[in-house]
Amino acid sequence: MKKTQKFIFFLIILSSFFWSCNQKKIDYNTQVKPIFNKNCISCHGGVKKQGGYSLLFEEEAFGKGKSGKTGIVPGNAEASELYQRIITEDSDDRMPHEKAPLTNEEISTIKDWINQGAKWDLHWAYKPVAKVSVPEENNDWIKNDIDRFILKNASEKGLKVSGQAISEDLARRSALDIIGFPTDNVFKQEFLKNSRDQNYEKYIDELLKSNTYGEKWAGMWLDLARYADTKGYERDGGRNIWRYRDWLIKAFNKDMPYDQFLTQQLAGDLLPNAGEDQFIATAFHRNTMTNDEGGTDNEEFRTAAVIDRVNTTWQTLMSTSFSCVQCHSHPYDPISHSEYYKFFAFFNNTRDEDTYDDYPLWRHYNDAQKTDIQHLGKWLKTKVSESQKNEIIGFIKTLQPAHNSLKCDKFINAELNDTKWLAMRNNAIARLKNVNLTGKKSLIMQLGVFVGGGDWRVNIDNPKGKTIASISSEELKTTPGWAIKEIKISPVNGIHDLYFTYKNSGLKDPNQTGIQFDWFYFNDGFPATTDSKTYKNKYFQLIKAKVETTPVMVENIPDLRRKTNVFVKGNWLYPAEEVNPGTPKYIGKWPKNAPNNRLGLAMWMTSKDHPLVARTMVNRVWEQLFGFGLVETMEDMGSQGATPFNQPLLDYLSYKFMYDYNWSVKKLIKEIVMSATYRQDSRATKEQLEKDPQNKYLARGARVRLSAEQIRDQALAVCGVLNREMYGPPLMPFQPEGIWNSPWNGDYWKRSEGNQQYRRAIYTFWKRTSPYPSMITFDAMGREVCTSRRIRTNTPLQALVTLNDSVYVDLAAKLSEKALKISSGKIIESIPVSYQLATGRVINAQNLSVLKSFYAKALSDFRRKKPADFPHGSKTPESAALILVNNVILNLDEVITKS
Amino acid sequence: MEKIFNEAYLRKLAADTRRNFLKQSFLSLGSLALGSLISCERKVSNSPGVDLSNPLAPQMPHFAPKAKSVIYLHMAGAPSQLELFDYKPELDKLDGQDCPQSFLEGKKFAFIRGVPKMLASQAKFRQFGETGTYLSNYLPHLTNVVDELSFLKAVTTDQFNHAPAQLLMQTGSARLGRPSMGSWVTYGLGSENNNLPAFVVLTSGGNNPDAGKSIWGSGFLPSVYQGVQCRSEGDPVLFIQDPKGVSRDLRKASIDAINKINLEEYKTYQDPEILSRISQYELAYRMQISVPEVMDINSEPAYIHELYGTEPGKTSLANNILLARKLVENGVRFVQIYDWGWDSHGTDADLAIDIGLKTKCKNMDRPVTALIMDLKQRGMLDDVLVVWGGEFGRTPMAENREGKPNAFKGRDHHSEAFTMFMAGGGVAKGVTHGETDEIGYSSIAGKVNAHDIQATILHQLGMNHENLTYEFQGRQFRLTDTEGKIIKEILG
Repeated sequence: MKKTQKFIFFLIILSSFFWSCNQKKIDYNTQVKPIFNKNCISCHGGVKKQGGYSLLFEEEAFGKGKSGKTGIVPGNAEASELYQRIITEDSDDRMPHEKAPLTNEEISTIKDWINQGAKWDLHWAYKPVAKVSVPEENNDWIKNDIDRFILKNASEKGLKVSGQAISEDLARRSALDIIGFPTDNVFKQEFLKNSRDQNYEKYIDELLKSNTYGEKWAGMWLDLARYADTKGYERDGGRNIWRYRDWLIKAFNKDMPYDQFLTQQLAGDLLPNAGEDQFIATAFHRNTMTNDEGGTDNEEFRTAAVIDRVNTTWQTLMSTSFSCVQCHSHPYDPISHSEYYKFFAFFNNTRDEDTYDDYPLWRHYNDAQKTDIQHLGKWLKTKVSESQKNEIIGFIKTLQPAHNSLKCDKFINAELNDTKWLAMRNNAIARLKNVNLTGKKSLIMQLGVFVGGGDWRVNIDNPKGKTIASISSEELKTTPGWAIKEIKISPVNGIHDLYFTYKNSGLKDPNQTGIQFDWFYFNDGFPATTDSKTYKNKYFQLIKAKVETTPVMVENIPDLRRKTNVFVKGNWLYPAEEVNPGTPKYIGKWPKNAPNNRLGLAMWMTSKDHPLVARTMVNRVWEQLFGFGLVETMEDMGSQGATPFNQPLLDYLSYKFMYDYNWSVKKLIKEIVMSATYRQDSRATKEQLEKDPQNKYLARGARVRLSAEQIRDQALAVCGVLNREMYGPPLMPFQPEGIWNSPWNGDYWKRSEGNQQYRRAIYTFWKRTSPYPSMITFDAMGREVCTSRRIRTNTPLQALVTLNDSVYVDLAAKLSEKALKISSGKIIESIPVSYQLATGRVINAQNLSVLKSFYAKALSDFRRKKPADFPHGSKTPESAALILVNNVILNLDEVITKS
Repeated sequence: MEKIFNEAYLRKLAADTRRNFLKQSFLSLGSLALGSLISCERKVSNSPGVDLSNPLAPQMPHFAPKAKSVIYLHMAGAPSQLELFDYKPELDKLDGQDCPQSFLEGKKFAFIRGVPKMLASQAKFRQFGETGTYLSNYLPHLTNVVDELSFLKAVTTDQFNHAPAQLLMQTGSARLGRPSMGSWVTYGLGSENNNLPAFVVLTSGGNNPDAGKSIWGSGFLPSVYQGVQCRSEGDPVLFIQDPKGVSRDLRKASIDAINKINLEEYKTYQDPEILSRISQYELAYRMQISVPEVMDINSEPAYIHELYGTEPGKTSLANNILLARKLVENGVRFVQIYDWGWDSHGTDADLAIDIGLKTKCKNMDRPVTALIMDLKQRGMLDDVLVVWGGEFGRTPMAENREGKPNAFKGRDHHSEAFTMFMAGGGVAKGVTHGETDEIGYSSIAGKVNAHDIQATILHQLGMNHENLTYEFQGRQFRLTDTEGKIIKEILG
């Protein structure tokens, strides 16, 4: 075509585009909703409802405002107030109010949409995942269906896809992605020798089978779970919750189907026959923070923890920004303010109350104790009802359901010590409200007696009411710390306020505390039969045993149930109407027969009708492999989230994830890494850089800086010191002095010994207010709250870590030793070996000459120095210089990036 | 025709993307001085408004700024306004009497229980300067610069525990997870300085502030905007020192080697991120020289040490304040100082308002005064905004923890009134804004809160607090949340 002809052709296309709008069907989601979101919804949406009119929900948009006029009349733009108000010349009435008018295109889009019938539509991400037909693309490049979607998208953008990466890069890339560090095995060697598909597949299968796979993917999950080894807030004391981290590793390794994986974490405690593992899984939502600062309101921080559970559940498992609904209806998406609190109600009835010890805790008994529990259970079965048996065994396992003493009030000569425990002085009174005493025969409690003697009583209804239980002077002996004690209760029916009274003439100082309480457990009493004595002793031995614990979810018994109210503007001090547990109307379907509790909630989330759960996980796996998700805003797939780069592909994989893979994460990962898309070369052509600078359409391989964890693990692995020991309490590798300085907290960083400090990053102690510095520098987060995605930055402080942190200097020395061994002690020959170990590639002549001349320079420098001045205890100038060469290698872009 | 469209498209890309920019510059400039390529490109990235390849590039403020940098002195633990600034003779008369019920009804305190006694100020007040401002005998030095200061006497908060109150003051929210003020400022303005961090944190008093490092964290902003803690012991910045035996010359050679190989890598992969890495390594090298230089107060002349009361080699508030002056002098945008130990409950002598508080004041009074004088004599006071304050105030009543009198004289946390001051950076001199009632319990006029103070600081830096936003979780967040009024009364 000649130029002029081309131009005319272009004009025709252009004009026909504008004029054809009248005929074209307007799509609400892609054409109308963006106009509403941009121009209207901040005043007519979930936050404000100016003029009584909102565009958030269909029924509101088609309804009347305060003026009595109907906003949208389907099929008749002229009769629609919304249309009239955007075209009027009267500046007082014209919308958007006091802002620039809509453009002509925007106005005509809205007009046409209304005239075409104003078909309202849910945002794509709120519609169930449907089966997607695969594009009919075909060529030699394609390895599986993923590639057809990518190819179609790329061709539409005029992009040419890339061939397979060199095998060295691909082997390194997939190992980093699947297990978190480069590895060597016979399958890799086979693949490097011959890159045919079967060899690649065998190598991938081997990676997926490796136990290190679970560590890599659990590491990702810890950000979502806001996992940390401390409680957070001011004192930020330690928390024993690492068994949850180990549970994750095991769950990923055995490829637990994702629906079960979520169910156990959200509601494992409510599953039939829930055991230790199911309870540990629920620690997912016990990673919320606990505030130990004296003077803080425990109910405030209990509420904060519940709010965090709600927001985390939505943001990380359903890619929906829910926290804004805490204060008002969702500004853009169809979720109402009261729906937030209905959802909140699911999480509002667990036993945790911001106690110092993080109650409720699962008690980890040893095997002998577990056998004792079994025997006790068998015996109980013959003596009491099933539910009584379960209560007794349940109490052994969690010491629940107990009343925490921090719920006491109406103090006289008593107080909550450090706002945590009921402390009583001489002539003290304190109240515990609303205790159901029907059938209760025994009170088991945890207490500490500081000054022996005196008289402690439980009176009902008022401080001078009937005494139903007491401890005499002789029984009140000083305890070395907390002690568990049982006393009898005289039978009373009904719910009563209890008044604890305490007198002790031994307390001469009126300000001295004589006795302190942690919790009270009102129970039916251990069955009293002729043969019960040994069993009762066993029972008390077990509940008094010092055992390790993990914070878990335990649901309130009916007596302890809390009501849930809507909080006005999200403020817990201003409760409004009461609500029952429920899920948002427009999202998913509540499954038939699902119980109205967290277990039902998990069933709702993992039902195949749920539009967000599978999409969120597929998007997350994609992000882990390619550096960004198919929807870039991992935290929000709602109408304000980023537009998907390839929504059909997201839906295709989400559908397969549920229906074909039965929620197998390993199958999903394998499908993706087997695609030609994943295997592409990451070298960019000029054309690709121009058309798709950020590589969103994936016409070339991803090239992404490694995560903080990958950088550490890779360095340990390639230097040959990685300690592959799995599981257990968190570790403290080298960290400079003076990093931990928390007030009111004597904890200190005690460097782990021997090769314990060479274990993977996932085992490093995570202190919320002071995380491991080198990992933070590489964009790891404090984990005070959940993080849906880490934003990768590029800063000089990162260079300082890998150049100077003694961890990395030590590793450079280890790398040089390893390479020297391989090169039989020949120094110059060891340089290409180090390079290959670190990058997975054979060094080229140019780079080798750079390293060699740097070695020469370093050597002459060290030859002029005394051995006392050599780095890392080197004995000779040669080894000192070689350490620096290896330090250079560990800092190369190709080492801290996957190509 | 196609060509025109293509060109226009490319031009737009070049304007939009640093990636493209760098590539073009690189091709035209060869391999020379990549570090110096960092300049004021437009931002583009996968996160709103941030160029992740050069996130600290200088940015235009919203309007002409009054201040270029900020030194924020936060006395962690909350100093007693009644012993320092807020002169209340009526309170002295009530000393030892039961607190009237009207002050207690419906109120919550951290530790006071039942009916506490009123507690007279332990300090003696006198008027100073041309403004006749009352100051206490706990602050003998500050009297010399009192006319340079602007006082906010009716600061209020809604938090009465340290960690949440500090977070509110420094991040605009009492909950963890929001970016700190220094992070917002560096996100908004970038750095004028390539060799030093943009946002520096200095701590003294033996502990980090109660809210921990989150208080200078970047929250949901990229982590590059978090405060860099500079330390007076060990490495001034973590990992800034070369490994043992590595000379500067050798470090230079090693960075050259890294960058040469990275350049090869760039030629192969064409990934602009590699170019950023090259410049970040050059920057790291320069930081290694300039940070220890700036952090070394030994080189200061004797009269300066005399003025500040500094003792090189120790961790002290005085040393940190002198460092702060050096840092802003060298182009650091925001220096945040935390001094721990102001929590005068009266539970022990160190925390008594008539014992420990005097010592804290002694260690603070001289260097803070020195800072004002020093900035002034260097002609820097107009450009540097100095802010002094705590996270809340203290009660006019004596603390009676768990309902019994404390061992020493002390005051509980108090959210309804406390004093802060600002100086320099375009703030009016000698103004007192806000007033409390006769006993210093409630603010009765000119009330301001954390968001107002934040809005004012941003305003002095040339930013509209309502427009400095970042999109997160589907919402535009800002430092001042949904509030914040500029305190015009104290602006020059």
